[in-house]
Amino acid sequence: MTHRRTAKPCLIWLAALLAAPCALADDPGLLKDLSAVMALLGAPCGKVVEATRQRENDHLVTCQDGHRYRIFINEQGRVIAQPR
Amino acid sequence: MNALAVALTVVLTVPQMSGCATPDHKPRHLPDLVDAAIASTASTAPRDEPSSLVVKPADLGRSTDPVISTPAAESPIPKAPPTVALPPVPPSPSPTLPHSPPSLARPATKAVAPLAVPARSAPPLDLKSLEARLKATPGIGLFTKLALKNQIDDLLAQFRAHYSGQRTSTLAELRQAYDRLLLKVLALLQDSDPPLARAIASSRESIWDILSNPARFAAV
Repeated sequence: MTHRRTAKPCLIWLAALLAAPCALADDPGLLKDLSAVMALLGAPCGKVVEATRQRENDHLVTCQDGHRYRIFINEQGRVIAQPR
Repeated sequence: MNALAVALTVVLTVPQMSGCATPDHKPRHLPDLVDAAIASTASTAPRDEPSSLVVKPADLGRSTDPVISTPAAESPIPKAPPTVALPPVPPSPSPTLPHSPPSLARPATKAVAPLAVPARSAPPLDLKSLEARLKATPGIGLFTKLALKNQIDDLLAQFRAHYSGQRTSTLAELRQAYDRLLLKVLALLQDSDPPLARAIASSRESIWDILSNPARFAAV
């Protein structure tokens, strides 16, 4: 019983740790959205190929040409692309 | 092969009917002899023959046997007038033409009319309807919508500054900024929401009329 009690939460944590970043990185809708933001803001990027969520409305993105940006919404409600 | 059967029956029956048959042979009736001849030919014929046997009587009837050929020859002749009557068939399309063209013409007129009418009568977008449709479109994501809203707000702030007398930018520069922003919006929407992209493109001048008129812009 003790094995079951300890193993189950560990498995859930492990699954969450593994699944969350993969799901975000593979979300084509988000990548498309972030690519459009980069184009709208006029930042050199091309296409966003990878995005890692840091917080809510805060992503670290990697562009096709190798540029990396932090895209987030600031306190004034503006979308900002900050080179990294 | 059936010709062979007929020839055999003739060869076998003529001597019997004329009394030339041997005495130990019993006289046989003609149907029996025909059956026997056919049975003999069928037993010797390959399996593919029955199909050819079915086909060939007509050919035989035409070529050799006048009794059989007459029905076979007559049947094409009465059939020929119907084939000659085929020219009336082309008239039948012409009677159907009055039926079919309306069915064809109606979709054509329907297809033309709905396309033409909305294009002419579609009211140009004003700023509020443009904002509402941009918010509602599923073609662009949340980040993009927010970034777009930021840029529209920036442009509107420039117009306000222009009309408030600050004169930070001329109307020609504002027009250039407006055109750039509109091109960005169209680029974003042309694949994901083509109807909205078309509506915005067709409303380009009417929106500019609102923005470039201080009285109308103040009412926004």
